[in-house]
Amino acid sequence: MSWRHRIRAVRGGGYEVRLAVEERALLSALPLQLVSLLDDVGDEPTGGLPEVLRRLLPPAYATDPDAERAFVSMTRQDLVEHHRESLETMSLTAKATRLDDEQLVAWLAALNDLRLALGSMLGATEDEVELPMDDAHQAEWIAYLYLGGLQSELIDILEATLPDPIPGADDLVPDDHWGEPPGGLRWDGTPQPRDR
Amino acid sequence: MMGISTASTAVPTEVERPETHQVPAPELPWLVIVWNDPINLMSYVTYVFQKLFGYSREKAHKLMLDVHYKGRAVVSSGPKERAELDTARLHQHGLWATMEHSG
Repeated sequence: MSWRHRIRAVRGGGYEVRLAVEERALLSALPLQLVSLLDDVGDEPTGGLPEVLRRLLPPAYATDPDAERAFVSMTRQDLVEHHRESLETMSLTAKATRLDDEQLVAWLAALNDLRLALGSMLGATEDEVELPMDDAHQAEWIAYLYLGGLQSELIDILEATLPDPIPGADDLVPDDHWGEPPGGLRWDGTPQPRDR
Repeated sequence: MMGISTASTAVPTEVERPETHQVPAPELPWLVIVWNDPINLMSYVTYVFQKLFGYSREKAHKLMLDVHYKGRAVVSSGPKERAELDTARLHQHGLWATMEHSG
């Protein structure tokens, strides 16, 4: 296998990482910025959080504030801790040339967390991104797109490590619970993407 | 400097009841729903469905496409406790999941 890829599984276990110094610096510093924002999070409802954090701490009960309060008090701390651990692991191992399975899974989670935060901050949409040349957040856009590319590589690697599907699991939920939404729109009223 | 920041009916009193065995109605399950969002990669969503629920790649891909094109998909169902656990696990993976009572 050639080094078209920046990360690859090695015989005997673990993963080899080839990244430029600048990439490693970004993967070391950026997660800590997000961790520092997570430090200020308590049990407030998602809507009371800064925009940049809302995708990381979404609501479970969209229409039942009492149930939502109970859910948050039960799960919020664990969720924040989960995000924090992944982000800190990636920051600490950003300069490593070898990663183990657990660390690679943490990288995947951290990359996704960073993209959720940056994407929310930038107002990213599903449309093909054309890098805004005169945007004040040009550096963040570059980071957002870079992290997505690296995340795609990790998904390909980690999907190959998944255990076999659980027999019968596919039949537990119907293929199409609600059928087609009316009017060619999505269920939430937004237009369907055209890339079908 | 680049970085992540926050800048941004009346009841009859007496009725004659035929004697029947009471059959408890089966408890309606809770549905765990994943909503479309513009940020999560389609390949990532497919990966998470396989990882968390043991779905085949085909099933996970189908559910992901429903999320993408229709805006939401039911990805698991069951008793409330189970649904809350699945929702929390989806949140840990960065997916926008909510739960609601079916029926």
